[in-house]
Amino acid sequence: MSLAISRRQLLQHTACGFGSLAASAVLAGNAPGMESTQDATADGCHHVPRAKRIIFLFMQGGVSQVDSFDYKPALALHHGERHLFDDARQLAKTGQRTEHHLMQSPWKFRQYGETGRWASELFPHSAEHIDEMCMLHGMHTEGVAHGPATLFLHCGSANFIRPSFGSWVLYGLGSENSDLPGFVSIAPSVGNGGPRNYGSAFLPPKYQGTRVGGVGIDSLSIENLTRTDLADLEQRKQFDFVSRLNESQYGRRQMHEEELEAAIQSHELAWRMQRMAPEVMDFSNESASTLEMYGLNDPKTKAYGERCLMARRLCESGVRFIQVNYGDNSANPAWDQHSNIPKHMDHAQAVDKPIAALMADLKQRGLLEDTIVWWGSEFGRTPYSQENGTGRDHNPRGFTVWLAGGGFKRGHTHGQTDEFGFEGVEGRVHMHDLHATLLHQLGLDHLRLTFRHAGRDYRLTDVHGRVVKEILA
Amino acid sequence: MCTLGGMGDSILIADEEKERAADRIAFFESKIRPALIQYCYECHSQSTETNGGLTLDSKMGWEQGGDSGTAIIAGHPDKSRLIKAIRYEIPKLQMPPDGRMPKDVVEAFEKWVADGAYDPREELTSPTRHDSGLTVERAQEHWAYRPLDLSQTNSAAGGNPTETMDRFVDAALRTNNLNAAGRASPNAIVRRLYFDLTGLPPSAQELSDWIGPAGDRPLDVAALIDHLLNSTRFGEHFARKWLDVVRYAESVTLRGLVFPHAWRYRDYVVDSFNADRPFDQMIREQIAGDLMSHNDENQRRRQLIATGFLALGNTNLEEQDKSQLDMDYVDEQLEVIGNAFLGQTIGCARCHNHKFDPIPTRDYYALAGILKSAVGMEHENVSKWIDQPLPLPKEEQSKYDAISKELAEVSRRIADLKKSSGKVTKEAKSRTDPGQLPGVVIDNASAKLVGSWMVSSAVASTVGANYIHDGNEQQGTKTATFEPPNLTPGAYEVRFAYAPHGNRATNAKVRVFSADGESTVVVNQQSPAPEDHLWISLGKYRFEKDGQSFVMVTNEGANGVVIADAVQFLPIAETAPNDTATKTSVSTSTKSVSIEPAKEDPQTIAKEKELKDLESSKKSLEARLVDRPMYLTILEKGPAADIPVHIRGDVHNLGEMVPRGFLTALGNAGVSTEKAPSRMELAQWISSPSNPLTARVYANRIWSWMMGQGIVASNNNFGTTGSSPTHPELLDWLARELIENSWSTKHLVKVIALSKAYQRAVCQADDRQQQIDPSNTLCWRGNIRRLPAEAMRDSMLLISGELEESVGGSVMRTNTKADYNYRHDSNRRSVYQTLFRNSLPELFDAFDFADTSMSIGQRPRTTVATQALTLANSPWVIARARAAAKKYEKMRSTSSSDLMLTQLFLDCLGRFPEPSEKEACLEFLGESGTSTNTDTEARNEAAVSGADSLQMLIHGLFTSLDFRYLD
Repeated sequence: MSLAISRRQLLQHTACGFGSLAASAVLAGNAPGMESTQDATADGCHHVPRAKRIIFLFMQGGVSQVDSFDYKPALALHHGERHLFDDARQLAKTGQRTEHHLMQSPWKFRQYGETGRWASELFPHSAEHIDEMCMLHGMHTEGVAHGPATLFLHCGSANFIRPSFGSWVLYGLGSENSDLPGFVSIAPSVGNGGPRNYGSAFLPPKYQGTRVGGVGIDSLSIENLTRTDLADLEQRKQFDFVSRLNESQYGRRQMHEEELEAAIQSHELAWRMQRMAPEVMDFSNESASTLEMYGLNDPKTKAYGERCLMARRLCESGVRFIQVNYGDNSANPAWDQHSNIPKHMDHAQAVDKPIAALMADLKQRGLLEDTIVWWGSEFGRTPYSQENGTGRDHNPRGFTVWLAGGGFKRGHTHGQTDEFGFEGVEGRVHMHDLHATLLHQLGLDHLRLTFRHAGRDYRLTDVHGRVVKEILA
Repeated sequence: MCTLGGMGDSILIADEEKERAADRIAFFESKIRPALIQYCYECHSQSTETNGGLTLDSKMGWEQGGDSGTAIIAGHPDKSRLIKAIRYEIPKLQMPPDGRMPKDVVEAFEKWVADGAYDPREELTSPTRHDSGLTVERAQEHWAYRPLDLSQTNSAAGGNPTETMDRFVDAALRTNNLNAAGRASPNAIVRRLYFDLTGLPPSAQELSDWIGPAGDRPLDVAALIDHLLNSTRFGEHFARKWLDVVRYAESVTLRGLVFPHAWRYRDYVVDSFNADRPFDQMIREQIAGDLMSHNDENQRRRQLIATGFLALGNTNLEEQDKSQLDMDYVDEQLEVIGNAFLGQTIGCARCHNHKFDPIPTRDYYALAGILKSAVGMEHENVSKWIDQPLPLPKEEQSKYDAISKELAEVSRRIADLKKSSGKVTKEAKSRTDPGQLPGVVIDNASAKLVGSWMVSSAVASTVGANYIHDGNEQQGTKTATFEPPNLTPGAYEVRFAYAPHGNRATNAKVRVFSADGESTVVVNQQSPAPEDHLWISLGKYRFEKDGQSFVMVTNEGANGVVIADAVQFLPIAETAPNDTATKTSVSTSTKSVSIEPAKEDPQTIAKEKELKDLESSKKSLEARLVDRPMYLTILEKGPAADIPVHIRGDVHNLGEMVPRGFLTALGNAGVSTEKAPSRMELAQWISSPSNPLTARVYANRIWSWMMGQGIVASNNNFGTTGSSPTHPELLDWLARELIENSWSTKHLVKVIALSKAYQRAVCQADDRQQQIDPSNTLCWRGNIRRLPAEAMRDSMLLISGELEESVGGSVMRTNTKADYNYRHDSNRRSVYQTLFRNSLPELFDAFDFADTSMSIGQRPRTTVATQALTLANSPWVIARARAAAKKYEKMRSTSSSDLMLTQLFLDCLGRFPEPSEKEACLEFLGESGTSTNTDTEARNEAAVSGADSLQMLIHGLFTSLDFRYLD
């Protein structure tokens, strides 16, 4: 029985359009001369790409920009003063501008690297790589609450059901490794949109993200990837048995049927994946110094360190989009310090060293060239205290994201907020713009990366988005 | 000479004019044009984009303006939207979006507009509005908008409907010169009908009943179809198909909040298909059941529950801009109504005229106006959907009325007992009657609760009989809102009672919503209440008429138990200027009952006992009220009113008012719109036989459910971007057949199931078939079809003997408050599994289950490795195989492996095993059987040892092609 089928035949034979294309993805990578990158956009990349993949370090809850990378000396000078602000929450509720108490950062700032840019004591290790970073200080986004803003960050829409960023990337570029999923979200939270943040919505489900581990789950593994209650040999025999049944059942019909062939292929691919993926996800051949560098020996940094190391391994294996989550399932996730900004320190200590290790590791392996590292939250925080407390409220009107590698300007700073760090006043970059720019670096034009659904063409950036050319190397 | 003089003057004036004109040109060219090019053209010119419909590369562009109107009013910078935008005056309209222009540029624009906005640029071509697609006037150029010809009836034409149907299909085959495949084998037809009509496989016994033990008895197809249509499994199976279309689910994604009563809607759908309720009636009940008249209480309940259709959306309840949320809610309803009943993408017209279909934005708001008066949420920080008590049969109603009455009586006696002669029992501690306190006091009994709060009175000093606590669970999901009804506007001191104790949160967040906005006070609930041993002050606030005035206690990020006891609004005027004096006066005016050391006299002991008994019976009465049936719904609150166009969909940017109405392109379908139509008229308009879309869309769905693909392949989109019908006359015939047979689903199913077209064999294409119609859109053969996730799951349970077959009811575990990581442990059919958006039941995710957040007409069909991984390694699948192995092991021990395998194949695949399959099985079990394989070594290599071999074999069979696909 011949299982060699061409993609063209497959397309000819399937009536239901894109859904069936998934079958071809299963086969892609095995058949020589078949470019998996071409299975979504008719012409693959829209232009020459500068990067092949993205690692997104998601700081869930909203890191405060004025306590991390957006240094505002004026805040200390005017500490405690009342000023009028366009507070996003109050605007949404009342449409009114309101007065708030400015609050200085509890942390000291100092200059790092040759570029001499400022960073606070929260991120001493990450800041050692500041010369690699392209800082975007004028970020702004949609959504005042975590749910909407988190969905906006991932899917480009706060309220509507839309495919997530990683799904669009995979749809546009396909996977580099057919034995592994092309889009992975490591330890995602189930709150604030949960699976929708790595879901494919109306894109074919093969573009959805694969969850590795999760909040509250100790092991970093893929669901149903393996079974441990059965010896390898027995599993092999069962696999052979099913292959025999399939062969007999396929032959019984005496007809050429692509859908059944694809099912047989997926059975075989699953078997290979079951063998290969655990190896990719196994740290046992990592050196002691690597484990130490990622902070795996320190209970404080162990969890995020493992995720970062996993990200590097997946990156090496050709996964397109790897999201490394730092968050939790609550409605006030991780960095959400409404009442106690000093608690930022706990979170910073958990992620800082692992992030620095990942940067160093990618660099030393030459991976930073074609990998984009994207660090950021769903929004920032206010430079003023929230009511009587020592915390800061959400701030979608101005915050900081940094990018590294993947053809972005090294050691560059783009945009700035006002003197207090509340609102972008120059070089503002909307989340849609960031999406457009990241796609651009992957060789995708956000205007042309479309999918027809319910009678119209959709894109990640809706009718918005601008490629921020100023930050491209 | 005056003439000369005059001339001189006028020359002078002309010169001045010229000079001024030159100045204006210079100013425009040096300051304005470069700025426009630098900051604006990227998004506002004809050669790039015309965002918001505005172009700024010609004078006419800004004169005509964009969607929000004229951009510049010459001479009036303060009235010009462009100036407001570049000044960043309006939070939602700040241009350029990347950051403000430098101050001097803004000033240049202000001056330019003040001086008359001189603009020498003439457009090369006049700016065009980018509307494309079919206009309302030309709607009938698209087939789906043409009326269905009801002048000729199917019945008048006579003949057997199935034969007529086949004639349409055969005619298309003849036209294309295609041969049709023969009839499928009886086994295949039985299995196909079982799965298509009930979603479950025939057992070996059932197969034998229909086609004989050897599979050679002639099959009475009509009898089989009737048998299956009469089984309750039919309604369960067809309900699941409809539930895809109406995005049915029992929770919302954000926060995983649970709809505890949505299942009643699902049961309504199951019951409707089993009762073969006319589909036009189902439409009316789902859209306007709450407004329909009724003949009896059953009908009333049914109709009320059906309207839950409108409330099932995956709503973003925590959207802070509530007017935005209200419109998003309506938008979601319109989208689903459009997709489900009309095959239209109405939502596309929210921000602009539909780009392809004849749906102007005005039509969108005409429909939105009809839906807007029905309320789907009560607004709070996290808004709450609406559950209502279900009207009950008299007996039950009186039962619950009696409980309520008894509860009131018990509560009264408890209060009396506590008050009686000022004596208080040990347990009673200190209870302050809220009615006795100054100001406005809201007790926890009147608070609106989100999430599960528990009532307690364990701790001393409370307001009212008790207080509530969050159980120190599910932080961030619970709120208790204290809102005084009709608070007189003015300034108040707001105080909060929280019954302190050592296990409390030290960081309980209490939010005060006032005219001053929202402020959060963090309360340490461990420390003693600072005022009157009851209260802590949350501060002083102003409350305005119709403004927000409520206090919300949350358990966000709480580090211990969060308590809510009462909130007091003390008018500032009532309090004396001197703070301490105030406290004292408040203190003296409270008639709090103080703790008295109880005397151990018999009377006291008796009273104690009585109180204890009363309190426990109160508890049990309350528990019985919890069982009172509720249903998920929307409430027609009114006022029914027209709404304006929302420019570019923005709720804060309103345009002209639009009278309520329907889709203009479709006409009124005989429904009067003299009076502004309500939801009832909308339902009538959609369900009218003269609506050109409704019957076609539903007939196409039934065809698609039976045949695997629709006559119109895009089931949810009959617009110009949808697929064209492969058999247009057949579609219209089916639509008429539906209408003429009182919209009976079962009738249409039977007509199709009896047809030659439905019963064709799956077979290899010949050259011509391959060339002309490789995807079999003309039905020249049967399609290979995959089992949906539900059928796979239900089949495994049926074969393992674990399937619990009972009809209706909820299987959600009681007290489920959030859907995260929900453990699905019911062995009932898939349709009854609790459908949580964040935790789908087993196999659903991997096997292309419908996205529960939107109307799905056709599920995606993917073949990916994760499916094979799921089948191979999911503990759930392995457990089914294990259970099945027990059953078939028994069979093997009483007969033989050979007979057992035959039975197993019949149960799992609906056919006898092929010799090659039997051989593979026997070798796998380590039995030589009838093997032709003489190589003992190879056989031994294939065999698995031990007691698990049969379990592994069945598991393998579940994974094999023929289990997952249908011929």
